[in-house]
Parts: sequence; structure tokens; C-alpha cells
Amino acid sequence: MESETFKPNPDSTTPMRASYEQQWLLDDGTPKHLDPLANRPRRLSDVGKETITNNTLPITKNKRFNSGTNHATTSNNTIPAKKSNKEMTKAERRELQERQRAAKGKTAKTANNVVTPSKKPVQGSMTNLEGGAGGTTSETSVTPSAHSESGVTVKNIDLKPKDILHKRDNNKQVALFSHLEIPKGANTSTAPKEIHPSVLVLGLHFSEFKICGANARCIATLTALQKVIQDYKTPEGTTLSRHLPTHLSPQISYLVNARPMSVGMGNAIRHLKWEISTIDIEMSDEEAKHLLCEKIDNFIRDRITVADRVIVEYGLQKIQDGDVILTYARSSIVQALLLDAHAKGKKFNVIIVDSRPRLEGKKLLKRLMDEGIKCTYTFLHALGFALKDVSKVFLGAHAFMSNGALYSRVGTAMVAMMAKEKNIPVIVCCETYKFTDKVQLDSFVMNEQGNPDELVNISTTMTLKPGYLDEWLNKPDLKLLNLLYDLTPSKYITLVITEVGMIPCTSVPVVSLQEFF
Amino acid sequence: MSEVRINDVEQFDIVKCYQQFLKDDPDVSMSIAAIESLAELIKHSNATTLSEFMESLKDASQKLKSSVKNSISLSAGADLFMRFVTRTSHDVTNFEACKEHLMNSGKVLVQKAAAVREKIAELGVQFIKDDAVILIHSYSRVVMLLLQRAAAYKKRFKVYVTESRPSYLGIRATKLLREAGIPATVIYDSVVGYIIDKVDAVFVGAEGVVENGGLINAIGTYQLAIVAKAANKPFYAVIESYKFVRLFPLNQYDLPTHTSDLLAFPDLENRESIKEENMDSINPTVDYTPPDYITLLCTDLGVLTPSGVSDELIKLYL
Repeated sequence: MESETFKPNPDSTTPMRASYEQQWLLDDGTPKHLDPLANRPRRLSDVGKETITNNTLPITKNKRFNSGTNHATTSNNTIPAKKSNKEMTKAERRELQERQRAAKGKTAKTANNVVTPSKKPVQGSMTNLEGGAGGTTSETSVTPSAHSESGVTVKNIDLKPKDILHKRDNNKQVALFSHLEIPKGANTSTAPKEIHPSVLVLGLHFSEFKICGANARCIATLTALQKVIQDYKTPEGTTLSRHLPTHLSPQISYLVNARPMSVGMGNAIRHLKWEISTIDIEMSDEEAKHLLCEKIDNFIRDRITVADRVIVEYGLQKIQDGDVILTYARSSIVQALLLDAHAKGKKFNVIIVDSRPRLEGKKLLKRLMDEGIKCTYTFLHALGFALKDVSKVFLGAHAFMSNGALYSRVGTAMVAMMAKEKNIPVIVCCETYKFTDKVQLDSFVMNEQGNPDELVNISTTMTLKPGYLDEWLNKPDLKLLNLLYDLTPSKYITLVITEVGMIPCTSVPVVSLQEFF
Repeated sequence: MSEVRINDVEQFDIVKCYQQFLKDDPDVSMSIAAIESLAELIKHSNATTLSEFMESLKDASQKLKSSVKNSISLSAGADLFMRFVTRTSHDVTNFEACKEHLMNSGKVLVQKAAAVREKIAELGVQFIKDDAVILIHSYSRVVMLLLQRAAAYKKRFKVYVTESRPSYLGIRATKLLREAGIPATVIYDSVVGYIIDKVDAVFVGAEGVVENGGLINAIGTYQLAIVAKAANKPFYAVIESYKFVRLFPLNQYDLPTHTSDLLAFPDLENRESIKEENMDSINPTVDYTPPDYITLLCTDLGVLTPSGVSDELIKLYL
């Protein structure tokens, strides 16, 4: 019945659909044409974005082109295939090697291929490169036998503890998640020398989870890149807009090696690269650097800091006296909202649901208790009992997929589903810079694995206390899985609070399309 | 409607004007009456600067909203007009011309609104199949028009109309349908579950459509929607797009019409007999139907899914 109803009425001459805007807000009272773009109400986050909009608006027609070049530079960065091995810097070679090691299967014999410098080197040459820091690698073509031989010998010498660890991980990986790499962590000693010190420090912070949370990581990354840009000097014979991206990409890949990039970080970096690409080649280095730093500051302010404030304002409308609010783990924006609601004199209780191994909710608990908010702290397995009196669930987000699915700390999906089951509204607070145009249907395809050793520690305090899992590495039948994220399907989410307003999660693609194109 | 020009805007009573508009034309909806009265206010305004003018408009729309108990439909119209004013009054150098222009635009808006129902009726007719049994709730002008249009197209169908306490508007709807030659029966609100298996489709109007595509409508719509969903019957909402409101209720208690004295429990000391007047004061008059229960929304912008409403609104605000 419904399928029939969707047919456009052939008799009607008027179009089947007109937009709300055309219907009501187009000014047909006067002949004067008004530019809808010029008059459209500006978002709060746009305030102070003057410089950006001024810059971006005139080139809207180039945007597609720009995003194209962006893409090109990114792929260029990840596959520096255009260079011969000799031309590559040490850092680039190592980076390549890292990447290939990650991709390595058990197909070492594919080294039979002839390696030409212009092509992406294959397996064998990679092992070669591994030991070939001195520059003894193949130049034009290598015979298969010589190649594999050198590869083997080098490999034997080069067997570092890190490799053993990596092997261990391969054996100890849960099969379903074997495609997810366990991050090897930031290693400052092997980092290429061009990596900026602030990035080195940040990488360590990331891999140690000293800085975590999507917003904190994004701000930290942008601030570090700002320092990189400040200390950058354009080499002779090239321009900043061409060379700076190639200078930034090893820094970024160093960070990604430390811990996989978050969606928000990706969006921020894409934005930065786009800003770089639009810089006038005539502009002096100092000026350009200054401009870029300002752009980064603007991004942080508009898309994160001010956005958070706007979200808190919206969120306050949804907290009433007498509410019992449940939240899971810790989200900076939910924390800010709860604190603000309390400061505004709203009377409500909070139930914090937490889970091992990270116990992030404790930090939130402490902050709320300090302010005198009534709290209950419980673990995920007690969720069914905790939900009994809850009136609203507030959650934070790591990312929002284009199909309206929420990608957030592992355990969130469970909370959302249980709440929906009990007809409790599930409210997610999320800045629009975390929206991605990717679609994800489950938590398997894309996820992040934490260090499995985290599960071994059963201590609930800061000091380590190994439990029964202590000897897990020596037990061949035992595998540990420490996933960091999961995916909540859109049907479990009632409302998304963003800086552009309160929207249903089905409207996420509409917002993200408007944001980036 | 007094056409006497009053120079002082303070003396112009926006609320009275609004009520007059409603009285003059029984077919006009609250949203449109609100737009009309705001346009009327412009005529009487003696503001000299744009910001002063905007202030007076804002005050007036606030006054209008607070003058009625249930302001959802009204505020949809008032907000629409305010948005229109903010958009159009930007790059105008001559303030008087701007006022003139806005007044005219207000009239255009009202005229457009009248044509909108016709368009919806035309679009909605395809949902009524020959030999269908339709269930409608309360009285909605646009649903009435749609059914009359279907009858004019020689579609044969029967209509159950809920009595819809406490307004009893269902009785009025039934009378109108019978006049149009459509077999119609009034049923008690509590009979919905009993007859739902005999029904082919449910049609309702709405006071407002909220941001997620949910409806705010006369009390009883929500339970009607739940019953329809449970029986797998399509539930169509028929709405003029000027009733879209920027509101996102989480549940019934998150509605602006919800107050703490609604549905309060009496003191046990107070052993009064149960009176109808008392019941009226503690019972809500509107409820919120979440989008999950709505099959499609038939609007003048086209036939939308509930999520399509929010897409339209976002495109507008971003």
C-alpha cells in the first residue's frame, strides 16, 4: 500500500516536494532578490569565524576541487611511493617500514617480485629496509634470491623485543578482532628526528592514555601541531602550502602510531590541511604561520569550546527538578552539563555507571561530589537495577556515523539499549565536528583495541594488583580482548544535542553534509 | 475588526486582535491568526528604529504566547513570522519601506496558508483506497478537507470518528462528514482498540509537528497511534508545514503544556464528589506522539517520513 503512495501524482503540475524554506521564508513580497546565504541566520559557533567565512565563501565553487586536493595530499602522505628508496629520508623509510610491518601477513615469499623504486616496495624489500638503515637497500631491481637472502639475514639481526611483542600479540589476538592492530605505542627512541618535541610528548601521553577523551585529544593534537607550524621553516625552492603538509604528515602518523586517530581529530586535521592548501603562495612565511595558528585557535574555539557551551545551554532545557540522570563512564561535555545544571540550582540526582578496566566514571564522580551533587556509583553489570528510577540518560560521544549510529566508549550501547527498553529517553551530547560521513553497522569492522594487560590488573586503586589472569601470556588457550569502543544503533537514541540544536540522530548526515561541503 | 489606526503601539491589544481574527473566520488556524495579528501590529507600530521595532514584535509574540493555555500551534505561527522578519529586514535602508514590505509579506503568507490545505488534500487523497474504513481523531480542518476531496473523487469509504473528550469535536466532524455524503460514526475514545481491526488507515491532524517528526495533538492521539502500531495499521498525519515547531519533547512530561498540577492526586481529607469541571482542570488537553508511531506525514512540502521533518528544519536553520 505504501509503495503505491510514493508515486508522484502525474496530474499535479506543482512539484511533489518543495522545501519549507521555499514555502514560507522566501521573500516573494518584493521583486528584490535576496541572497539566501547572506541572510541565513548565523549559528552561534559562527560568531568570530569572520575571517574563515570570508576566506571560504568566495571559493565555494572550488570546494570540490579543494577537497580533492586534500584527498590527494593525504594519500600522498601515507604512500610516499613517488620517491626512490635512496631519496627517502630515514624517517620516511622507517615510517614505510612500520606501515608495511603492520600489513605483513605470512607472505614473505612474495619477495619474488622485482622491486622498482617507483613502485610501492613489496614485502621482501621491506625486511631489507628494516635493517638497511645505513642505506644499503636495493636501488633499481633486486633478484629474488639475493633479495630474500638479505632479507632473512637482516631480519635475524633485527629481531628486537618489540617484534617479539608483536608476534605475541598476533598469537594472542582474538580471531574476530585480528584485523584491529594493537597499537605498539609511541617509541621516542626510534622516532625520526624531524618529529617535533611537542608531538613526541603528545604521542607518549596518547599511548599511556594520559590524555584521553575525544575533545581533549583533539585540542591537544591541534595545539601540538600549532607548535610544529610555529617552528616550521619553508625550505628553499618550495612553498609553504605545498611543503607544510608533507612536513606535518610524519608528525601525524607518529601520533596515529601511538594511538589510532579519533574521528574528531581526523576532521580537525582535514580542516587544517584544507586551510593550508588555501594559503596564498605570495604570503610570507611569518604571516602564513600566524594565520594558520589563528585558524587553529578558531577551530578549537568554534567547534569545541563554544560548541560545548551551546550544548550545555541546550542540555539545561532537558534537566528538570527531580530528575534522576544516569550517565556512563565519563564525558567532558556531560560533566560540564551536570555541573552547570547544579550551579543553576536544579535539583537532580546522578547515577554514574562505570566499567572496568578504565574506571573513568570515578573521575566524574569525584568532580560531582566535590560540587555537592547527589550521586550513586555503580558498575555496568548492575545497570538493570540502577535504571529503575532513572528519568533520563545522558551520554557522551566519540563519533557519530552517517547512519545515525553512535560510536562511543564500550558499554554505551548496552546502556542505551537497556534504557530504551525501559522507555527512558537517551540523550547524547556531541559536537558536530565529531560527525563523520562514514557508515558503520557494527562494532567489529572499526574499533580500537586497548592493551590486554589492562584486564590483568584487578586493582581498583592506582596501584597495580595482578589477579588470576597474571600468567595469561603463558597459557596457550587464553586470549584477552580489551575493546575500547562500541556502536549504538540509531534506534536506541532519542535525541542528539549538538551546537546546531537538538536533533534526532537520523538527521546527523544532513548536518555533516552542511558542515563540510 | 476595528480598522481605526491607533498610533501608540501600547494601546494596540495584540491578544484581542488575535481573538478577533479567530472569531471572524472559523476556518483560520491559530498559527495563521498569530501571523495575521503580528502583521497587524506592524501597521500600528510607531517604532523609529529597527531594533525598537524588533523588540516590540518580540514582546507582542511573547504576550500572545502567554495569553493562551496551549500555545503550541500559536507559537509555530508566531515563530515563523519572526523568522521571516529577521530574514527580510536585514539590508533595508528605508525603515518605513521595510515596514510596508513586511506588512504585505504577512498578507502574502496568510494567503499562501489558505492555499496550502488544498494542496495537502490533493496529495493526501491517494492514501484513501476505495472501500476503505478510515479512523480519524477529533476535528481537524485539513483532514476534513482531505476526506471531502476524496468523496468528491467518488471514492467510497466509511469513517469512524472518535468522540474525543473533553472537546467533543468528533461530533462536529461527524456532522460535517455526513453533510458531505460520507458514512460516519462517532465512537467513544475507549472503543478504538475494539474497532482497530476493522480499520484500514488512521488519519489525524496536528497542532504542531516537533523537530523529530513527532506530533502534538488533541489528547488521545498518542494512544490511538499505539493501538494502530500494535495492529499494524498505517497512521498518517496530515499537517500544514507552517505548524512545524522547533521543539524536541522527550516524552509527555517534557511538553511546554505540562504543569505540575496536571493529574495531581487529591488530598484524602478532601472528600468532594467527582465533578466533571474538576476533571477538566487536572486532565491534559494535548499529548505528544513520538515519530516511531507515525507512518507518514502528508504535508504541503510533499509526503515526508518523520525524520524528513527534521531534515527540512535543519536545512533551514544551518
